[in-house]
Amino acid sequence: MKSWNTICAYIGTKYMSELYTDILKNNFKGVAMSKEELSRVDEKLTLETDESRRDFLDKFSKGIFGGLIASGVVNALAPVQAKANMDGSNLNFSEPFKPFDLPPETPGEDGILRMMRDIQRALKKPIEQRHWKMVIDLRKCVGCDACSVSCAAENKLPPGVIYRPVIQQEIGSYPNVGHVTLPRPCMHCDEPPCVPVCPAEATWKRPDGIVVVDYDQCIGCRYCLNACPYDARTFDFGMEYIDGAADAPKVFLGKEKAGKYETEASYEYEKEWKREGDQSPIGNARKCHFCIPRIEKGMLPECVVTCIGRATYFGDGNDPQSLVSELIALPNAFRLKEEVGTHPSVYYIK
Amino acid sequence: MTREKMGNILVWILIIGFGAWGLPGILDRFANGHVNTAYGSYIPWGLWISAYIWLIGLSAGALMISVMTYVFGIGAVKKVGKMAFLVAIATLVGAMMAVGLDLGHPLRAFSLILDPNLHSMMGWMAVLYSAYFVTLCVELYFAIKKEQVRGEKQKSIKKILVVLGIWSIPLAFAFHGGVGGVFANVIAKPYWHGPMLPIVFLAGAFLSGGALFATVAYIWRPSQSKEEFLKMMIFLGKTTLALLILDEILELSEIYVGTFYSAYGEGHLWQQILFGQYWYTFWIVHILIGVLIPLFLLTAKSKSPGAIALAGLLIAGSFLAVRLNIVIPGMLDPEIKGIADAWVHSKLTFSYLPSIMEWQVLLFIVAVVMAVFMIGKKVLPIYQTAGDE
Ligand code: SF4
Ligand code: SF4
Repeated sequence: MKSWNTICAYIGTKYMSELYTDILKNNFKGVAMSKEELSRVDEKLTLETDESRRDFLDKFSKGIFGGLIASGVVNALAPVQAKANMDGSNLNFSEPFKPFDLPPETPGEDGILRMMRDIQRALKKPIEQRHWKMVIDLRKCVGCDACSVSCAAENKLPPGVIYRPVIQQEIGSYPNVGHVTLPRPCMHCDEPPCVPVCPAEATWKRPDGIVVVDYDQCIGCRYCLNACPYDARTFDFGMEYIDGAADAPKVFLGKEKAGKYETEASYEYEKEWKREGDQSPIGNARKCHFCIPRIEKGMLPECVVTCIGRATYFGDGNDPQSLVSELIALPNAFRLKEEVGTHPSVYYIK
Repeated sequence: MTREKMGNILVWILIIGFGAWGLPGILDRFANGHVNTAYGSYIPWGLWISAYIWLIGLSAGALMISVMTYVFGIGAVKKVGKMAFLVAIATLVGAMMAVGLDLGHPLRAFSLILDPNLHSMMGWMAVLYSAYFVTLCVELYFAIKKEQVRGEKQKSIKKILVVLGIWSIPLAFAFHGGVGGVFANVIAKPYWHGPMLPIVFLAGAFLSGGALFATVAYIWRPSQSKEEFLKMMIFLGKTTLALLILDEILELSEIYVGTFYSAYGEGHLWQQILFGQYWYTFWIVHILIGVLIPLFLLTAKSKSPGAIALAGLLIAGSFLAVRLNIVIPGMLDPEIKGIADAWVHSKLTFSYLPSIMEWQVLLFIVAVVMAVFMIGKKVLPIYQTAGDE
């Protein structure tokens, strides 16, 4: 019998192939499609009402990740967005965390599984007893930007807003040169300079170490952007990727179709945020929040699961058994700009 | 045509011109938010924040003139105290407009008045500006009232004005030194960080505000004898000169310390200010127009009131360049080298030149400041004097 993974992958591919055959057959014959044909393609692509897209996303993600690790974990790795109804109605953030089954522990297992166990353990403790920390192994980072892109997709980041850019730098002078890639999330400083400057008390440090922004409280003065010694905050200027794009109503990638991305809600801070008009988070300071909606459900931050070099680690720094605690104790672990006295929760290994 | 009439016509032409030119910028700000501004996330503050410090400084300077009138009883400026309040109110309105339009959610800022974060110097600003605005209005009310009553009543109002005037001294030091503190606190920006900035801000405020007032008092002087007028202008000229010298000493000290090690700390930023792309804002606008020409005019033997007024106008106007050279260079250094190339976008760069829309908004604000002054001057009896008993 075919394994569940293969079935998932099969369904995903089949859906894709069906969709594209449909489009290719009808659209690229050289001549324009008839009105009925157009509306048929259109129907397939109408996202909000089409149940199949949600199915597709769910199954597709299972298929992709299914190839990587055991199927029980797969569901938890799929982006929060993919599991949400488009209106977010099936996401219940107020529900307390329910541990889910993980495959039995095996020696030499994937670090992702170990970190998920670490998270489950941490979530059983009261919030003030855990301290989320991240470790980034610079030797393993290949500078592919997968984390930046997946973070942007998870949080529906608009143009000009970025939570985790990957900085690339050449060091030394010819012929003695080297190349460093350095992903830079928010450091979730223990002494965050961005917090005391905020006139509106819109940003603070949670007991579990995460520095958060209350979008509804933030007045958008951008003082915190200046105060951060890591340039970790960006301002939502209300821009959209489709600004200035061609209006092509019935075509696959016209402004309207491509614009679906922009109107989808993000679920940062376990709330639904739609970028409309001048509503928050437009006009607010934004930054990495360690994917709170994911970790509160026992999932790893999006950048951790998409890191192709397995260079990003996450877990509870207060738990001596956790993978991050082990890594932080390495002699070659360091933090950025220690001299400013910010005590970051993000460590690097070189 | 009298000087006052000419001044009125000229200022109304400017109000209409700046207003018409600036209106599209304001409409753009309301329609598109901050999209068409040149600042971004790595240079988060731009022309409007610089204009805010400039205008609030002018306001604090004008307030100090009123303190001279009502607290220290300096005879030379005794007839222009009310006008000083009006200038302070008009520039405060402009400053609040500039900072309000700079916010992402301006309406939410009102909640800060009642519930600020008192750890944050910017939180304090909300409280202090509200207190300042109320103080100014109350002071202006009593200053007008004082001229309308006689006898015991006038004496008691005089006392109230002294108390209010004394109260406004620490208030002015707090709110303008505090604006310096907003910048000086930021440990991430070595160019701003340090104890000197609040003092530099204060000196600059008193200089630019006093200088502006010299111009205003020259054009719209109250009825006074020729000698009185001359005395007033010479007093304002001398005050401006003393403050100009003090301000330049502070600036020289900053440049000396800042440039001592060219490769360390803020040395390269001073290099940029002095010899970089926008060198002319420092050398032409600030040093030539804002320092050397006024210095020449203020030290000239003739002591002509016109020359003093012109010097005042040049100093007050060009002070925007001083403010820009404080605000912008502080943000030119990436916190982490190479960050601007990591995720490329027009709002993620380390260069800044105000956009046309930003200039338009500023012109509109300046038009509003002038209009508030002109209308206030018309409807309020700021020239009325009943004579002291
Ligand atoms: S990295 Fe910057 S934004 Fe993040 S907590 Fe530290 S100071 Fe605040
Ligand atoms: S931008 Fe928002 S979060 Fe940042 S300091 Fe201003 S009010 Fe606070």
